[in-house]
Amino acid sequence: MISPIEKWDGAEAYFTFANSPTLLYGVLIASAVFVVFAILYDATHEAGAYKKVANGTTK
Amino acid sequence: MEQQLTELAAKVATLEKSTGMANTVNIEIYYFWATAIMVLIHVGFLAYEMGASRSKNVLASGIKNILAFAFIIPTFYFFGWWIYLAFPNGFIPIADGDAGLPWAMAMGPNLADNASGVFWAAFTLFAATTASIMSGAVIERIKVYGFVILAILLGSVVWILACSWGWHPSGWMLTQLGYHDFGCAGIVHIIAGFFALGVLVNLGSRIGKFNPDGTPNDLPGHNIPMVLIGLMLIIVGFFGFLAACVIFNGGAQWTNIYGQPVTLSAIGFNTLMAFGGGLIGAYVATRDPFWMMSGGLAGIIAAAGGLDLWYPPLAFLLGASSGLTIKLFYDMLTKLGIDDAVGAVAVHGWGGIIGVMAVGIFAAGYPGPGENPGPTLYGQAIGTVVCIVIGFVPGYIASAILNLFGALRVPDDAQLLGLDKTKVPSSAYPESGKAPAATVPAE
Repeated sequence: MISPIEKWDGAEAYFTFANSPTLLYGVLIASAVFVVFAILYDATHEAGAYKKVANGTTK
Repeated sequence: MEQQLTELAAKVATLEKSTGMANTVNIEIYYFWATAIMVLIHVGFLAYEMGASRSKNVLASGIKNILAFAFIIPTFYFFGWWIYLAFPNGFIPIADGDAGLPWAMAMGPNLADNASGVFWAAFTLFAATTASIMSGAVIERIKVYGFVILAILLGSVVWILACSWGWHPSGWMLTQLGYHDFGCAGIVHIIAGFFALGVLVNLGSRIGKFNPDGTPNDLPGHNIPMVLIGLMLIIVGFFGFLAACVIFNGGAQWTNIYGQPVTLSAIGFNTLMAFGGGLIGAYVATRDPFWMMSGGLAGIIAAAGGLDLWYPPLAFLLGASSGLTIKLFYDMLTKLGIDDAVGAVAVHGWGGIIGVMAVGIFAAGYPGPGENPGPTLYGQAIGTVVCIVIGFVPGYIASAILNLFGALRVPDDAQLLGLDKTKVPSSAYPESGKAPAATVPAE
């Protein structure tokens, strides 16, 4: 069952995966990995862009 | 009679529950909309930074500015909020920080916790503001990924650590020094300004800023009206920022972050008076609309430390003192070879120093919150030094490391070509320089 609660009365933390540490950590790690990936992606993009300028191939 | 008393007790209990919930919801509403207003700071910084860029770099500056905001949000969730809650004593974390860990039950929708999300959101906007202050100073020659790393370090680590020390009801700067900084003159503005200065030392100037003999050239932005509107939007956003500096206690008097009583009226009086003073001061000193608007901002910053305490004409004079002197501070840095494209170090760093020290000079002797000491000149001076050091040193060291790995400065040929043409897949002004399209007459 995905929902961490069965009824609203008395519910506290009700966000997705609140009752499933494995999934919660998995999503958290995936989001952190994406942040790091985005920085590395930009580093690659910029390196390529500056190389094109140096080679005179910028459109 | 007994039955009537029982019914009355039940009604009172229902009323108490209803009032309590109304207070809780009002607190949420207050911080939610204060956060929304703070987004205008970023609208302003975006317009300001793009306007201050030359036309060949407009979109690259915009992308960099937006990404600072974007990357602060997840990183402040991952570790920023934990740092704030965990480090009020210095460098050793305390157990209170556990509530800010990204897997804590308070860090998501929770019907038993109406506060954590709105406080986290407000602090995230504070953090993004801190990072955006640096963003303008480094335009037109910093690599985006290097900048993003620096923005994360400033907004989600350095600033929030100092915030835990000096803008927290249990922070050591309060409990040991009586440090008082209502509107974050030191905790946000000195730190951001001096972090930017540390980065600027390693980043170097834009090509053409300095002649071989060291004399500076003006590199004016392509759209000064956009800069002015941007600065005015930052002022609007500041009202949200300062509103979020007040603690809504629901049914009791407002307090500042330290727990001392305050009114929103105090903030209304003093914020506007300081803004007016800063504008007029900068007008007298420069007659330049860019510096006038910067002076308005610097005026608020120069009064920010004691916005809850000042006699309004004193706030006006503090604002004026900042407006009169920021251009001098900027010129002094320029003479030292520092190319601060928007004067961020002067406006935020110098303005912040005035803001913190003014509390020590004019507000020493006010009672502290609870058993804590009140503000003193000594405590404010030490606080100023702490903010300068914790801003400058990490900015300098981190940018030096990035520079060592070639991750800081854009190559000269790309700077000369323009960053938009180098790496942005769209154009800021695609029709500029082209003949207008022919009008096809209707048949």
